[in-house]
Amino acid sequence: MSHEVIAIMPELMLIATAVVILLVDPLLPVDGRRGLSWLGIFACITAALSTWFSRGEEFTAFSHGIALDKYSVFFKILLLAVAAMAMLISEKHLFLKKRLLGDYYALILFATIGMMVMAEAIDLITFFVGLELMALSSYLLAGFFRYQEKSIEAAMKYFLTGAFASNFILMGMALLYGLSGSTNYQEIGDAVKLGPVPEGPLVIAIMFILAGFAFKISAAPFHNWAPDVYQGSPTPAAAFLSVGPKVAAFAAILKFFTIMLGSQSDTWVPLMIALSIATMIVGATMALVQKDLKRMLGFSSIGHVGYLLLAVVATGDSGHTIGMAAVLFYLAAYAFMNMGAFGVLVYLANHNARFNDSLDDLAGLGRRRPWAAGVMTLFMLSLTGVPPTAGFLAKFYLFSAVVEAGFAWLALAGALFSLVSAYFYLRVIVFMYMRDSEQVEEKTDGKSWDLTLGLGIAAAGVLLLGILPAPVLNAAQDAVVKLLGN
Amino acid sequence: MYDFQEQIGFPILTVLTFLPAVAGLVMLLMRGKPKAYKGFALAATAANFILSLVLIAYFDRYTADMQFIEKVPWISSLGISYHMSVDGISVLLIMLTALLSLIIIPASWNYVKERELQFFIAFLFLETGLIGVFCARDLLLFYVFWEIMLIPMYFIIGVWGGPRRIYAAIKFFLFTFAGSLLMLIAIVAIAYLARANPYATPVFDMDLLEKSIFSYQVQMLAFLAFFIAFAVKVPMWPLHTWLPDAHVEAPTAGSVILAGVMLKVGGYGMLRLCIPLFPDAVVTMAPWILVLSLIAIIYGALVSLVQKDLKKLVAYSSVSHMGFVTAGIFALNLVGIEGGIMVMFSHGLLTGALFLMVGFLYERLHTREIADMGGLAGPFPVMAGVLLFFTLASLGLPGLSGFVGEFLSLVGLFTYSKPLAAIASIGIILAAAYLLWMFQRVMFTKLRDEKWYKLPDLSLREIVSLAPLAILAVWAGVYPNTFLQLIQPPAARLTEKMAPYMAEGGSAVERIFASLGGLF
Repeated sequence: MSHEVIAIMPELMLIATAVVILLVDPLLPVDGRRGLSWLGIFACITAALSTWFSRGEEFTAFSHGIALDKYSVFFKILLLAVAAMAMLISEKHLFLKKRLLGDYYALILFATIGMMVMAEAIDLITFFVGLELMALSSYLLAGFFRYQEKSIEAAMKYFLTGAFASNFILMGMALLYGLSGSTNYQEIGDAVKLGPVPEGPLVIAIMFILAGFAFKISAAPFHNWAPDVYQGSPTPAAAFLSVGPKVAAFAAILKFFTIMLGSQSDTWVPLMIALSIATMIVGATMALVQKDLKRMLGFSSIGHVGYLLLAVVATGDSGHTIGMAAVLFYLAAYAFMNMGAFGVLVYLANHNARFNDSLDDLAGLGRRRPWAAGVMTLFMLSLTGVPPTAGFLAKFYLFSAVVEAGFAWLALAGALFSLVSAYFYLRVIVFMYMRDSEQVEEKTDGKSWDLTLGLGIAAAGVLLLGILPAPVLNAAQDAVVKLLGN
Repeated sequence: MYDFQEQIGFPILTVLTFLPAVAGLVMLLMRGKPKAYKGFALAATAANFILSLVLIAYFDRYTADMQFIEKVPWISSLGISYHMSVDGISVLLIMLTALLSLIIIPASWNYVKERELQFFIAFLFLETGLIGVFCARDLLLFYVFWEIMLIPMYFIIGVWGGPRRIYAAIKFFLFTFAGSLLMLIAIVAIAYLARANPYATPVFDMDLLEKSIFSYQVQMLAFLAFFIAFAVKVPMWPLHTWLPDAHVEAPTAGSVILAGVMLKVGGYGMLRLCIPLFPDAVVTMAPWILVLSLIAIIYGALVSLVQKDLKKLVAYSSVSHMGFVTAGIFALNLVGIEGGIMVMFSHGLLTGALFLMVGFLYERLHTREIADMGGLAGPFPVMAGVLLFFTLASLGLPGLSGFVGEFLSLVGLFTYSKPLAAIASIGIILAAAYLLWMFQRVMFTKLRDEKWYKLPDLSLREIVSLAPLAILAVWAGVYPNTFLQLIQPPAARLTEKMAPYMAEGGSAVERIFASLGGLF
């Protein structure tokens, strides 16, 4: 097999499966479609295995369009895990809402392909194709409950802001191409570093790219779409959208701001610091006043983006690989805990027709559904950053990176906002265990082993990354070393 | 090197730490069988207490070295290891923790009416966190246990607490978490600063950190971060405001552990981390900390005088007593440090007992208001006797444990500064005032309700849970050497560590004292 085929083997598998799903779906009765999710999950597993077996490889393919290295392997496996979890938690919900269509899984697979391409791209054009593939699939996922007004509204909002953001990034890319004469990350990086490049356009390019990415990862002040979209989207889709695109965007951000713009850290570090602080403020304070759990988790994810940006700041002079490794580890932890938290909401919606995603609906949950409340507690503690969970080690590692890079005061700011955020995560626990409610559940038959398995995987991930983090931590460290060595 | 292999042959510290948590998980299988899981919890905590006695038996009390060392890499790329070891201070506090965790099980046998299983499981997890803190010899491991003990206590207050339990639980969590986060940043900072070169792995091992020398500025910042985290736990004035709320709302057993052990974790942290790692900063800050301690002693005592709620009175008296702990420790001499540790130990016994007594009274009278009580010595003669014993011990009657600690602590303070010692001793007088006045109002005066004669006096179960505390209080009062022997070598090591800095920093201290002297 040629390098090209090996490099995109996982993507090819996903495409094939997505096409099969789309072809088979109309032929199946509704009950028969329930197996389709497992087709998708199976594709994710095989793709992840194929990625895993290529972990020793190190080459570029498609005329330096993508690079297969440990960095891409890390992100591809993470993204595939996210996609698989998303499909596990979706199936029953779609069935109950009478929207069990193969299209949904195909869209998740397409979005995942786009994300994987974003992570492995080393060429602006390739990157942009991946970005758009991800984005277009995501808009459709947000609007998948097309008979619900809020779902359509979410899709529309997501589409408009997303298109806007893509254009920002595109504009920045065009400027970079104009300045350097290349679309290859490394060549742009060299040109920007060595050649005489006019200062003004370069700064504008950086700002465009930063603003575009800030939209994509919902960093303040470009964040306002995120809570609305998560609130309106189908809950399992919101789980996927709150994790996948962010992971992929950070994979690309790290490459952009180290390989390409590492030499310009004087320009972007202050901007990134400002973004990060603004994002942490918005994430922590706005989440305090939310009554809707999906909105609350939306703002909480904004807060986590703020911390992640701190670690990106810590990569500053390109010498600090620990900053990059911290981003990778944090994203892995974030993926499990956020998928888990949304997954519990899906579980509750499946079992209780009256469940309205509001905080009050959680009252007395510890008594009614001890297991769901138990894992939700685990995810909330992890999001707060309490040991022995993934969230704690991720935050610890991230603060280490920030302090090591000489930004101890930023780490202090981060600590301050995690204190504020502790309040609203704890409030979820307060409602579950310390409040009683007269509300009677309207029980529905939501039993689903898929969902249980998905929650189990998320919970196991949160605990494993918290107690035995060494394998993932080492993988994250290995992944970034070569990236800067090139 | 005192390896656990040579000393005892099995990883005793790991077993001590995780046995309760494992027992808690096993109890999940006994859902719906109250007798079974209560018995099991009792057996598990009893086993752990016996294990803590075995630890003391095998402990070499003639050395200040860390013992029963267990060390395996945990996150090797970051230089973090699972490193457990103990010295005399830890051993004493582990024994206290195991004892209090044991006696709260029978003491709350019939206390909770709902979610009883989870109640006992929470306490077992709490025990794991607490013992872990006393064993951890790696900074990150220390932090992990430090946080782990927060969660069960949060649930204990929030789920099984009084009417304002949610407010109290959140306040407790946020106060502690704020301190913890500061400490986390400081941990990271010193771990990276202690590296030999920028490419080396960070240093989280306390053995190595104690040998590192940090610049004065780093020491000051890191010291403050650690100190605030510990001061919240102690709690030192003015960071104490969570304590009365937490105690008033917490169930009895929660109060016992909270006052008995969790407050000590703060003092322990100061001894284990603040003094050995940041000696320069300690010398600079000691006078100010002493002043805060004195404020805590006097303020806590004065506020106790005016409390109407029995539990709040005991809670504020803790603030006052813990002032003696910090005052003793930061007098920075052998006697003072030994005194501080003895106060911790004795306060753990006595306040634990007092909170139990308050709980027993509450179960009978369903009130904690002092004004609603009175004349209880009539219906409850045994209880009156027992309460008198613990009251006297708590106010520092010679021959009982409270006296030893406070006396040593005062002697230490006296060596450091005579005026400060004079002020601190006012606290003891005030303690006598609020405790005896409390006793008088509760047990003597006129009986308020004849119906109380129908209520039972202390039951055998209750007496059994109080007895070990009383025995230890007498033991520590009559023959404190048993305990002082344990803490003397590590305390001596701390003073030796501080000695060169004291000489060097003497002038700075004097200068600060000159400025303070103007006030007195």
